[in-house]
Amino acid sequence: MKEQIKSWLEQGTVDVFLGYREVDHHPIPWCFTQEAIEEVDDLVVSPARYSLEKIATHMAAEDPDIRIGMLARDCNNRALNVLYVWNQLRPEQVVTVEANCCPSPLKEHADCSYLEPGTVGAYKKAVGIDNHLRLEAVEAYGPEEGRNRWMYEFQKCIKCYGCRNICPVCFCRECSLDHDDLVGTGPLLPDIPIFHLVRAVHMAGRCIDCGLCEDACPMDIPLRLLYQKVNRIAMDLFDYRTGTSGDQPPFSILGDRVTLEPKPIQPVTGAEA
Amino acid sequence: MTIKRITFLQELLGLFGLQERVHLAWISSAEAQKFVEVVTAFTEKIKSLGPNPLPAYRDAPRAALAAAAH
Ligand code: SF4
Ligand code: SF4
Repeated sequence: MKEQIKSWLEQGTVDVFLGYREVDHHPIPWCFTQEAIEEVDDLVVSPARYSLEKIATHMAAEDPDIRIGMLARDCNNRALNVLYVWNQLRPEQVVTVEANCCPSPLKEHADCSYLEPGTVGAYKKAVGIDNHLRLEAVEAYGPEEGRNRWMYEFQKCIKCYGCRNICPVCFCRECSLDHDDLVGTGPLLPDIPIFHLVRAVHMAGRCIDCGLCEDACPMDIPLRLLYQKVNRIAMDLFDYRTGTSGDQPPFSILGDRVTLEPKPIQPVTGAEA
Repeated sequence: MTIKRITFLQELLGLFGLQERVHLAWISSAEAQKFVEVVTAFTEKIKSLGPNPLPAYRDAPRAALAAAAH
């Protein structure tokens, strides 16, 4: 692999190669270049991961013609697909070297155990949401219990923006989460659940279920489950599989044809409709 | 587009049991009667559902934080 990357850099197949370099025994996201080609010897493939494709979009924004090589797991590849669909990168300008991947509902087979369940405390299990539950189990809580549990999770948020900053498919120049009229930038706690739902809504048809946001979240909020929910809706309603589809996402206006009907006003059933 | 977004939103709010609080209807400016019917029916619906439960959650931890700070 290292030889191939070196020859790509030497022959100019790519201008830069994004991977990880071992520095003081830590794998650090690294941009390898022809000028410092000896660094490729320190390239490591390990369970460590980062949204390298996000760095690639920043580079392409500066230099649209740059050719980028990248170490890519399945989640990186799904993110690349989304970034192509959203015109943030061009498929011609990216070459990937495949690396092992993590399990995800968007991909049936997985041979990487990076996301091993951590320990979830008894209190969180009792009043919040166990991050390792399946989405079906969370949906099964029902409206009131589900609301209690999600709100318990959301009220822990310290609005560090870590979830947004790490996300490979968050590329907007102006972010709703920074907009005073939409979520309020100043005070803690943030507006809940608006802060999280605004981000969730924007992840429909975009989130590729890499789980980096949840890894980044210092408050251990089960963000991945929340975004799995929005993508499940996109899948059920619009038959859209984010990250594997080359089509425009369901909320794009181009080529719109809809078969949905407005829902009737249902009579209230029981206390919690 | 609107209907996609609203249907999506209703599904998402289902996670919090709030899906019934969003309603979409097509009413032209010539359909005054329909407008009255829909708005009346929806108002009654919302009244019977009672107040939005979310503000209570927002205020509860704030109050707890404020108490802890003193
Ligand atoms: S899992 Fe989180 S970080 Fe990854 S694409 Fe989805 S929202 Fe972004
Ligand atoms: S990473 Fe977690 S704590 Fe930080 S803003 Fe996102 S949800 Fe809130």
